[in-house]
Amino acid sequence: MSTLIERHIVSLLEEKDDKAISLLYENYGDTLFGVAFKVVKDEDLAQDVLQESFIKIWKKADTYDASKAKLFTWLFRIVRNTAIDKLRSVTNKSDKEIQIDVSDVYNVGVKAINPEHLDIQENLDKIEDKYRIVLEALFFEGMTQQEASDELDIPLGTIKSRLKIGLRELGKIYGTTMSLLLILNLLS
Amino acid sequence: MKEKVKIFLESDILEKYLLGDTTKEESQKAERYIAMYPDVRETYEVLQKNLETFANMYAKKTPEGLKDIIIASARKETMVSKRYMRYAVAASIAIMIFAGSSLFFWNQNKTLQEENTLVTNQIKYLEDNMKDQLADMRNQFIVLNNPATKKYQVRGEREAKELKAIAYINPVKKLSYINVSNVPELPEDKCFQMWAEVNGELVNLGVIKDFDEKDKLLALPYADNAVGYITIEPKGGNNIPSVDNIVANINY
Repeated sequence: MSTLIERHIVSLLEEKDDKAISLLYENYGDTLFGVAFKVVKDEDLAQDVLQESFIKIWKKADTYDASKAKLFTWLFRIVRNTAIDKLRSVTNKSDKEIQIDVSDVYNVGVKAINPEHLDIQENLDKIEDKYRIVLEALFFEGMTQQEASDELDIPLGTIKSRLKIGLRELGKIYGTTMSLLLILNLLS
Repeated sequence: MKEKVKIFLESDILEKYLLGDTTKEESQKAERYIAMYPDVRETYEVLQKNLETFANMYAKKTPEGLKDIIIASARKETMVSKRYMRYAVAASIAIMIFAGSSLFFWNQNKTLQEENTLVTNQIKYLEDNMKDQLADMRNQFIVLNNPATKKYQVRGEREAKELKAIAYINPVKKLSYINVSNVPELPEDKCFQMWAEVNGELVNLGVIKDFDEKDKLLALPYADNAVGYITIEPKGGNNIPSVDNIVANINY
């Protein structure tokens, strides 16, 4: 189910209207920048990643198939893969500059969180660490489940189940947040 | 069927597909299951929603000015791709012209090769023909000059009394020639035809034409005790000689 704004952006992309880029940036820019930053852990690199990703999105616009994925899923894949590639190329250049230390990956700096998303930060805290660690390793580190299992020293079966449960937990939290926001809106 | 869906959902293909980490085969499988089974479709929808929720948790304010840089880059990219398209069109036209001219030259080359083969064959034919004629001339010269050559006068009989021919036979060189000097007039539907009986076999030597062959020496196949015949045959010649119409015998 796509929203009206999604459909509007998709039609602009199909028409190669550069208003699409502006709308994409306004609607998904912060989240995608967050994803890029989470992967590369460097603001300048994250900016490069976001810029490269938007060029890819613009160039590949005609390959987007709404029947196969929501717009955000498609955008996320592009940004995530661009960021992982960027991280690998930088790491190859200088192993000392950026260290992929598992302990770095799981530290969500308070400064990194936009005040607008503080409620979500609270929700993030609600996800148990054991699930979050697995989700972050798979989503942001580009690890396969086997790699995550080796890296985190957790059995593969547990990785699989934590991924599923973690995603399910997210749904519950999201559902609660949306209900609360709805109630608050109705009250105000 | 439900078991199949359950097994699929328990595998991690859908989660990997969500992130774009699947192989081509896994992607095809995931897309097939999403299209076919509502349970899978629903799970995929939920996963997509949750991915967005999860990613939103890490949202970070984009730096000032980045939006303008990105929009400018996208516009630049559009211009580059338009220019690239123009180059691509120009390159395509150039390739088409090149392909067209290549085809033209290839065809021309093929035609010339065919003509070359034809001319070579013609030269070969002429050469062979010339050699045959030279050999024939040489033989005629031998027959006419050799002292061992015997000369036989051949006279026609019955309605071909005016037929006159001279046969030259050389048993040493094993050559025999005939010169038909006078051919009487025949009805239009008739002609004279020459035959030779060589070792019991009749050989067709062809039709005697009125004028062309008057001064010509015609080679006869040589054999000891061979017999030559001239017969009157229907116009155009016959496959076998009409014995009743033999108008001349040449024994040589």
